[in-house]
Amino acid sequence: MNAQTNSLSSQGAPREWRRFHFPRDFVRWGALLGVLVFLAWTTEYLGIPLERFVTMWPKLFGVFTNRYYPPDINYVLDHDYLASVVDTIQMAYLGMLFGVLAAIPLAWFAAFNMSPNRFVIYPAGRFVLMCARAVHETIWTILFVTILGFGMLAGVLALTVFCIGFAGKLFAEEIEAIDPGPVEAMRATGANQIQVMLYGVWPQVRVAFTGIAIYTWDVAFRAATVVGFFGAGGMGWYLKRNVYQIESERVAAILLSIIALVMVSEIVSAWARARVAKAK
Amino acid sequence: MAVLVLVVWSVEATIIADTEWDRIGSVSQVIESTLRFFAVDWSILRSLVKPALETLMIACLGTLLGVITCIPVAWFGALNITPFKPITYPLARFMMTLSRSIHEIVWALIFVAGVGLGSFAGVLAIAMRSVGFIAKMASEAIEDIDKEQVEAIRAVGGNGVQVVRYAILPQVLPVVIGVIIFEWEINIRRSAVLGLVGAGGLGLAFFRQMNTFNYPGVTTVILAILALILLGEVLSYFSRRAVI
Repeated sequence: MNAQTNSLSSQGAPREWRRFHFPRDFVRWGALLGVLVFLAWTTEYLGIPLERFVTMWPKLFGVFTNRYYPPDINYVLDHDYLASVVDTIQMAYLGMLFGVLAAIPLAWFAAFNMSPNRFVIYPAGRFVLMCARAVHETIWTILFVTILGFGMLAGVLALTVFCIGFAGKLFAEEIEAIDPGPVEAMRATGANQIQVMLYGVWPQVRVAFTGIAIYTWDVAFRAATVVGFFGAGGMGWYLKRNVYQIESERVAAILLSIIALVMVSEIVSAWARARVAKAK
Repeated sequence: MAVLVLVVWSVEATIIADTEWDRIGSVSQVIESTLRFFAVDWSILRSLVKPALETLMIACLGTLLGVITCIPVAWFGALNITPFKPITYPLARFMMTLSRSIHEIVWALIFVAGVGLGSFAGVLAIAMRSVGFIAKMASEAIEDIDKEQVEAIRAVGGNGVQVVRYAILPQVLPVVIGVIIFEWEINIRRSAVLGLVGAGGLGLAFFRQMNTFNYPGVTTVILAILALILLGEVLSYFSRRAVI
């Protein structure tokens, strides 16, 4: 749109003002119409019962009040469950740590301006990051559980891959946005790739990387609450057991505990990021 | 130093103590069980077309529903236009946090329990999960608008609806549409796994292949998911270029 206004202004003002411009508006409204038709077809194809958007509320409310209320709070205060919360925090922590450590070199490879080799290493780095990010963390969990068996090792590895994808992309964007001045100065004095990275790039991105790492921990914790659902230890395992045993009051209590913990972790990470930003 | 102690403690608890090493076996056995995945079962490819389409559709409808739901939330959550600050503002902020903090699998479990198995639960779960992010970005965009345009519309006698239509909407729309396309792309990723808990789509196909121990089939499903996500990325690239 901007390009269009620019080209108009370079030719001087248009002769007459019109509310509709033939090719542009035609394409635009046509695209909108196409999207709407697709959505209507989708609703039809999936058999989404539109009337249930009105009628489902009493039923949903009934389900919640009859089955999920009152939440069985004693269950989540149980010693075993609290131990699983600690497990979850440890898994998220280790996943974040390994993921961030692996993401830093990958981000270096996948940052267009700093990549050691633009034709081989850059696409390879991009590809690894894309795969790590594109496949959902629950699928990684299932794969690692199949290979390594139930337990937290699979969870840690799945979270590691998830964090590589998440942190790697943000790291690479951060490296691409640096000031090229110091890097050129380093190169001019004959520094090699690694020296440029250590003394030209690292000081510029250090603070941003710390912030991203803290945020990654927060996101990893959110993911860690459910990796157990697929057999990788932590709170998710309790969730799965109780869902399948239809212990709805316990499920409600577990869900409440997950919400509370995620909110706490969000507050802690916001506080830590604010402190890091201030320490700059 | 504290970090190091924490690492050792976590490694001890999660990796060493909780793993049954003798069940995993030797390195060669691990490699062998990994290699089972390195084959592609093309025979199930035809049966994946329908779930893939379903996954895409769940993502589209979920995003649409999320966008519709986020309108009141963004309105309540923007400090400069919220109708009644002491109540509506914290309410909207709480809803945004709630929506973002619960994992999509958990949302899907809640809705599968509420409305039954099938893609409807998936659509609702995707919508609930994406409301928070879209509403947060939209309300931040609304907070950053240029106030003079609002005053100009007011000065020529525009009412509330006209202020929204001619002063606020044109300013926030490019940002919000960008956010919606971004969220749609992520939603494809999410809807691909919702089938694991009974909400339709490729996740269900994945679950079936896994439970029948058809490991090449699992690889095929993952490739299908990757192809779908690649398609989503290409589409979102072009639509973003068309809009912005």
